Amino acid sequence: MEANLPIMSLDSLNPLLAAGGIAAPEIPGFGWLTNSILVAAVVTTCVVLFTRMATKRMELIPSGKQNFVEFIIEFLYGQVEGIVGKHVAPKAFPLLATVFIFILTANWFGLIPGVGTIGFGEEKIAFLSLKEVTHPILRPATADLNMTLALAVVFMVVWAWLSISELGLWGTIVHIFGPKGGLQGFLKYALMPIFIFVGIIEVVSIVFRPMSLSLRLLGNIFAGETLLVTMGGLGELLGASGFVAWILSVVFPLPFYFMEILVGALQATVFTLLCGVYIKLSTTHDDEDHH
Amino acid sequence: MGGILETFGLAWPKFISQVVIVLIVYFILSKYAFGPILAMLEARRQRIADGEENLKKIESELEKAEEKVQGMLDEANSDAERLITEARESAEAVRSQKTQEAVKEAQGIIEKAREASKMEHEKAMNELKSDFGRLVIDATSKVTGKVLDDADQKRINDETAGQVAL
Repeated sequence: MEANLPIMSLDSLNPLLAAGGIAAPEIPGFGWLTNSILVAAVVTTCVVLFTRMATKRMELIPSGKQNFVEFIIEFLYGQVEGIVGKHVAPKAFPLLATVFIFILTANWFGLIPGVGTIGFGEEKIAFLSLKEVTHPILRPATADLNMTLALAVVFMVVWAWLSISELGLWGTIVHIFGPKGGLQGFLKYALMPIFIFVGIIEVVSIVFRPMSLSLRLLGNIFAGETLLVTMGGLGELLGASGFVAWILSVVFPLPFYFMEILVGALQATVFTLLCGVYIKLSTTHDDEDHH
Repeated sequence: MGGILETFGLAWPKFISQVVIVLIVYFILSKYAFGPILAMLEARRQRIADGEENLKKIESELEKAEEKVQGMLDEANSDAERLITEARESAEAVRSQKTQEAVKEAQGIIEKAREASKMEHEKAMNELKSDFGRLVIDATSKVTGKVLDDADQKRINDETAGQVAL
């Protein structure tokens, strides 16, 4: 009986992980250039070209691409303003909107057929067909820790600049370590050690923010890629072959494609939302809290 | 730590290149997309606000103009009524004056006609008397066969005239 169920062993699932594993593989012959950097460059080009075309000849009465881009930006600005407030929104909006648009485009770009499945491998099974693609040419840019960490680090630098520009260096330190809740008198000094301890915890959480932001995004997108690859190969694992296996490789992943579209949008929203909340928390004056 | 970094494929060249890509998107979008579009949205918002303000101003001016027009119409109506009344009074006065003049003229004409008639009557009476006197003289002269002198003729003429006047 056990001999009939080899597909249930973990070993048999290993080849179904997204091509190249969690580390983005380098493109053979291009040094350190990874497939995710290539996709990031392609996504950047697409985003920049599209917005440039939309904003090149702007008119007071918008139409076509300008209308679409205006809709997106107006919507995002409203959301950002709602989170960080009217005062900080003009400074925070460019970064948050960039993060959202870039992550969303990169996530959805990863769902284009061919991304992660066309590339190089060792064992040929037919003309232009490999048993396993070990070095795909394209990989979702956000399925690489280098990119997600880059996004988080850039955000943290801008976050630090925003916080200090709003509260000042001393104000930021007081904001983290100082007494909260408008305490005065003896109680303020009595509780100071607790506030300092809370401040230290706050600093630790700030230090870990880039990792939490980047790993969350990486985990979700890489898991999505892996899920699609797994679903694509599930037919063969269940013993199907030939045309039936091909049909199943299309049918099984289909529902998960729609789910990944949703996950792509959701992760872009979560990343941006958290960034907005971090900015809001660090740029809010203590006297505003009292109100 | 090194193992973890290797597992995730973290490496400075890859990381820095991704940072550069993010910064490129950030700066280009900020300069060529967010800036112009937010400026355009603000310009449109301002234009709409200006339009609304102008609309209110126009409505207010229209209301004032309507009030002014109504005032002018009322004034014109009042003037027209006054002019009509004055014209009616004036026409009445003229009519009365003309009537009086016409009556006076008619009376003058009647008076003149009466005088002329009277004169004609007197003239006719005189001619009649003269003719009647001459006929009496001729008849007397023929009856009596006597040539009447001027004194006789005058006497007969006067008597005849006196009797005819009766």
